[in-house]
Amino acid sequence: MSRRIREHKLFEIYQEARGKRIFTKNIFPGRTHFMERTMRDAGDEYREFDPTRSKLAAMIMKGSTNIGIRKNDKILYLGASHGFTCSFVSDMVGEKGIVFGVDPAPRVIRDLIFLAEKRRNIIPMLENANHPEEYKDKICEVDVVFQDVAQKNQEEIFIKNCKAFLKDGGYGLLSIKARSIDVKRKPKQLFNEIRQQLEKEFTVIDFRSLEPHEKDHCMIIIKKR
Amino acid sequence: MYLYTNIIGSFVLNKELEIVESLEFEDIEDYLHKYQFENKLQQKHKNLQPLPDYKEREMLVLFKDDIYMEKFYKQNLELAKHKLKLSVTEDQLIIQTIANVQELDRVINLLSKRLREWYSLYYPELAENMTHHEKFAEMVATKTRKELLQGKTMGADLEEVHVKQMTLLAKQILGTFELQKQHKEYLKNVMEKYCPNVLELAGTTIGAKLLELSKSLKRLAMLPASTVQLLGAEKALFRHLKTGSRSPKYGAIFHHPIVQNAPRSDRGKAARLLADKLAICAKLDFFKGEFLAPEYKKLLEDKFNVKKD
Repeated sequence: MSRRIREHKLFEIYQEARGKRIFTKNIFPGRTHFMERTMRDAGDEYREFDPTRSKLAAMIMKGSTNIGIRKNDKILYLGASHGFTCSFVSDMVGEKGIVFGVDPAPRVIRDLIFLAEKRRNIIPMLENANHPEEYKDKICEVDVVFQDVAQKNQEEIFIKNCKAFLKDGGYGLLSIKARSIDVKRKPKQLFNEIRQQLEKEFTVIDFRSLEPHEKDHCMIIIKKR
Repeated sequence: MYLYTNIIGSFVLNKELEIVESLEFEDIEDYLHKYQFENKLQQKHKNLQPLPDYKEREMLVLFKDDIYMEKFYKQNLELAKHKLKLSVTEDQLIIQTIANVQELDRVINLLSKRLREWYSLYYPELAENMTHHEKFAEMVATKTRKELLQGKTMGADLEEVHVKQMTLLAKQILGTFELQKQHKEYLKNVMEKYCPNVLELAGTTIGAKLLELSKSLKRLAMLPASTVQLLGAEKALFRHLKTGSRSPKYGAIFHHPIVQNAPRSDRGKAARLLADKLAICAKLDFFKGEFLAPEYKKLLEDKFNVKKD
């Protein structure tokens, strides 16, 4: 009997036989949090990772070759919001991994706390990513920094946090929303500028625009030297 | 020897950054009073120094061990809950109340229209003559057709069972009116303490609406007067910027009596001046200034000859 769900080329990601949908293995089978579709195969439950709802999934669908997230990783997630992508990252790192979910808005942290009470590898933190010095005594060194905040100084926040918490040789994933930096300027120009800025500090290993899943967004993956 | 404290506990470290002694926090209360633990350690070990900045990264590596993760989870979750508890302000209460007041407006309209249609089967003349929703509902709820009847009616003679449902609906509508009134009363009480200047100049509904649109008094105080003038007219403003159509003159403050009673040609001016004063009032309230709103109100009313009632 051939399995319907196969391993994707990326770690901890699974795909349907046709390759049009991607999944993560649910660490708490039988429980979904965001009405996402699930699939059962060979005794395991898989949750569908929707690229129109998550920028990380969009990046994978665009064919990224390395997203840097492995099992048992410690991850700093800036801009966790209600925790949609967060829950999939928590699937990917498994029960022994940890996701530090940071968000400054009380309203969304409320939802994240409920999620964290079910998934014990998510740590909700009501902090502002602009000020890493305020939460440096609340977290440990991390293997991956994932950032998805719609702020004007996105790259500044990213560089600050990577310098403070990312281990040497660790990966950083930055999703950029061009429209929150400047509505008038062309997204491509902006992306290139940010890329050059990041190249001064880190090694850029991947750069993709997220069309057609997200408009005027791109994602940059870096590796710390 | 160094002293280092994080969310897990307070630690004494030697020069090689090994943990010599540790006091782990039981719950988040301990973290919030961490200086007590630090003092304890300081008395025990003499010559403790705070950890220099360049060594902090090494500490982060030290705490990466799996044994600390459960502790990190517990403490951070508690801290987030604690912060969430403190994050509720009057702003949010006001915003939720004014949002519900507006929602009730819509509900009342919807139900009243249905009641009119329904009751017209029984007594169409009343719905025709009585245009005020609240009075109409009150009449239907409290009086029978016999008491209301003037002359003859072309409505059907329905049995008591059928009429009863209409009366029940009317009572529900009256209850909704009462709820809305209580909301407004409550808003007034809250805003009197929280933002007296804005309340005095803008009134309950408009003042609360401005707070809702700007999300908090802090942001409202930081906004320039020109933005306050156009709060609530974002659609028209961006259409103006995008296509070059005529710019909007007022947003939420359009319903203010000063703007409403100004002559048509002066409405833009009135809105601008009112927004100026409102911006000052918001700043006065946020930074706990004096109560100057009545002065501004008088000035504006004199300028635009508003009739006082």
